[in-house]
Amino acid sequence: MRRINWLGLAFLSPALVMVTLFFLLPVVLTGFFAFTNMSTATGVMGGDYLLNTSTLRALADQGLPKETLAKLEAGGYRVDEAGLAALAAATSPATADELAQLHAGAEFSDRRDMERALKDLRANAIRNTRDRKAATELFKRSILNERFSEEAAFRAALSETGTRPELSDQITEAAFTGWVWTTDNVKLLFALPSTLRYAANTLLYVTLTLAFNVGFGLFLAITTFYLPKGQGALFRAIWFLPRILPPVLYVLMWRWFTWDTGFLSTVSGYLGMSPKNWMLDTSYHAWTAVVLINGFVGASMGMIIFSSAIRAIPTSMLHASEVDGASRWQQVRWIIVPQLAWPILFITCYQTLSLLTSFEYILLATDGGPGRSTEVWSLAAYHTALSNYGGNLEYGLGASFALVLVVIGIGASLIYFRLFNFKRLITKPLIEG
Amino acid sequence: MQLDLINFTKRFGDTTVIENMSLSVHSGEMIALLGPSGCGKSTTLFAICGIHRIDEGQLMFGGKDVAHLPSQARNVGVVFQNYALYPHMTVAENIVFPLKVQKMNRTDREAMVRKYAELVRIDALLDRRPAQLSGGQQQRVALARALVRQPDFLLLDEPLANLDAKLRLEMRSEIRRLQQETGLTAILVTHDQVEAMSMCDRIALMNGGRIVQYDTPTAMYERPETAFVAGFLGNPPISFLSGSGLGLSEAQVAQYGVRPESFGPQFGSTLSGRVTFVETQGREDLFDVRLTTGEILRSIQPAGSGIRLADTVNWGVAHDKLLRFDQNGQRI
Repeated sequence: MRRINWLGLAFLSPALVMVTLFFLLPVVLTGFFAFTNMSTATGVMGGDYLLNTSTLRALADQGLPKETLAKLEAGGYRVDEAGLAALAAATSPATADELAQLHAGAEFSDRRDMERALKDLRANAIRNTRDRKAATELFKRSILNERFSEEAAFRAALSETGTRPELSDQITEAAFTGWVWTTDNVKLLFALPSTLRYAANTLLYVTLTLAFNVGFGLFLAITTFYLPKGQGALFRAIWFLPRILPPVLYVLMWRWFTWDTGFLSTVSGYLGMSPKNWMLDTSYHAWTAVVLINGFVGASMGMIIFSSAIRAIPTSMLHASEVDGASRWQQVRWIIVPQLAWPILFITCYQTLSLLTSFEYILLATDGGPGRSTEVWSLAAYHTALSNYGGNLEYGLGASFALVLVVIGIGASLIYFRLFNFKRLITKPLIEG
Repeated sequence: MQLDLINFTKRFGDTTVIENMSLSVHSGEMIALLGPSGCGKSTTLFAICGIHRIDEGQLMFGGKDVAHLPSQARNVGVVFQNYALYPHMTVAENIVFPLKVQKMNRTDREAMVRKYAELVRIDALLDRRPAQLSGGQQQRVALARALVRQPDFLLLDEPLANLDAKLRLEMRSEIRRLQQETGLTAILVTHDQVEAMSMCDRIALMNGGRIVQYDTPTAMYERPETAFVAGFLGNPPISFLSGSGLGLSEAQVAQYGVRPESFGPQFGSTLSGRVTFVETQGREDLFDVRLTTGEILRSIQPAGSGIRLADTVNWGVAHDKLLRFDQNGQRI
């Protein structure tokens, strides 16, 4: 029988489009951006060739000879048509004509030479110093701050400055304002000390939140299991609320709760403590808040999964353990928890992956602060690429942050698939086709 | 140890499942709670072991009221219908569990496990997990787990229901052997009258949340108090018919009960009928005979009679074995 059916594919196509557009493309683009130096400065389209003072500084750092730098910086003076026309407009056509007669096409490397040429005009000498200086500027022909849209034009202008030809490649590269392919992002990532800090923060965040999620989820599932059915369901519903609350509102409540005029400060004020921002006072406060904010939301998921897993344990087994003399605690310890091994493993794996990439609650709560003490990897990626305080959004560097997460995520998923024997789960259909 | 259940009432919400039931089990005795499904026999068992709360009445273990103690404090061993073995533990861990929760020391614990594993003959399987065992082996593990804590009572909830026919026979005698060797007082819940009759000293036959008769198997079979008891016990079942079919007419008797072994050629030839059903059971043949009145009598005969379907037979009934019931189903 033919297994491929075009109608089937047609039905599948919306899903394929969505998967490609929203799952596959971001990953591909991340990989693509990570190896460019794209930023607000470079834009994402093409670019021009422009030398400015910051480019020169960068070139100086690269070890360009001082004299070349001086040449580029100083530029020169040339008596050309454009300059003469400007002079004619500024002074008089006669002045321009005389200069043209004497010096047409002449070049002066020094400003004083150009000034002298203007001063020494016989009939129309410009004697006023201020006017002469202004006129001199009209002939200044520096490559600095001049924008070239074509590489050839820039190179031509560069050679006119008298720069040594062997240096022109380096200068042209530095002068390009568009984005280029580069592996510098990755190098930078491993060189920056802050990267290590973000990695350590992420490890701390994932470990603590995961422990809280799983532990508290388990606690809720077990305690609500022992409550009468209706009460248990009510408690679970209450604990599920944060998950259906908009994250912005949820975090806003936490901020009100911890503000220096908020609930905690007010209550602690009655006890004679001075008010403070309980969320951002120290990094310990911030971490506690981050873990609790994420944990209370995350625990609800574990709670639901564990609850149903507990209810899947045959009641006769629980009865048997009671008849065998097991107390509640012994029942939990020896009968219930061991049978939740798989759900616990599943939640742990699943939450690890989602915690690695989630930063919305931290962003809304502490925004990585105080300082950078709660800046986790994914938040750093977001800050670098999309919300940079300095204003220059470094898409390339941010993407390389994200790429590391993509690599870790794929690696972890492969390990989990193996762990859960995913192949066996998905390739053995229960109904024969 | 003597067990007394006195005026026991059990309700689930507004539904009263069992009302004012009393039951005594003598020390060392094995009794059966027998009845059709929904009659409250398992509910009674679960009330005795403490899984269900006792709403009213007393439960005396050796003269001590335990009705308000939790199951952990009652010292009963229970074998559940699905065995309820702990799937994440090995056989040895399953058996030792009741001792482990009592915090008995390790060496004593291991000695006990070995002793009871040998008693139920699974000492070779101690390292396996329940999923690796056959139904009969799981049953034995469940028995060992129930026995290892040396309970005051052994409670068995349909222990043979999940076994195949051959294993059921084997485990039937096995359970009885264990009960007799340990001298335990035991209660067996079953809907299978053969199990009840073959394994137990006495049978409490339940219907609609009441015990309708509590007697030895033989007494109950021969002298059923009601038509329900007569109909429930006996395989193949008893036939009920009116007096006219038998040619009898006695005051107060609403119906007669004739057991299959009381109807046949050896009891005369006063009743004529056609054979409407023949079932060969190897050693015996089972016949349904439709009398001229349209009523059906069952008969069980040694194999080889040569009687076939649709034959006309003239057989008789053993009048001394006839059971007589009045309008309310009470035996006269």
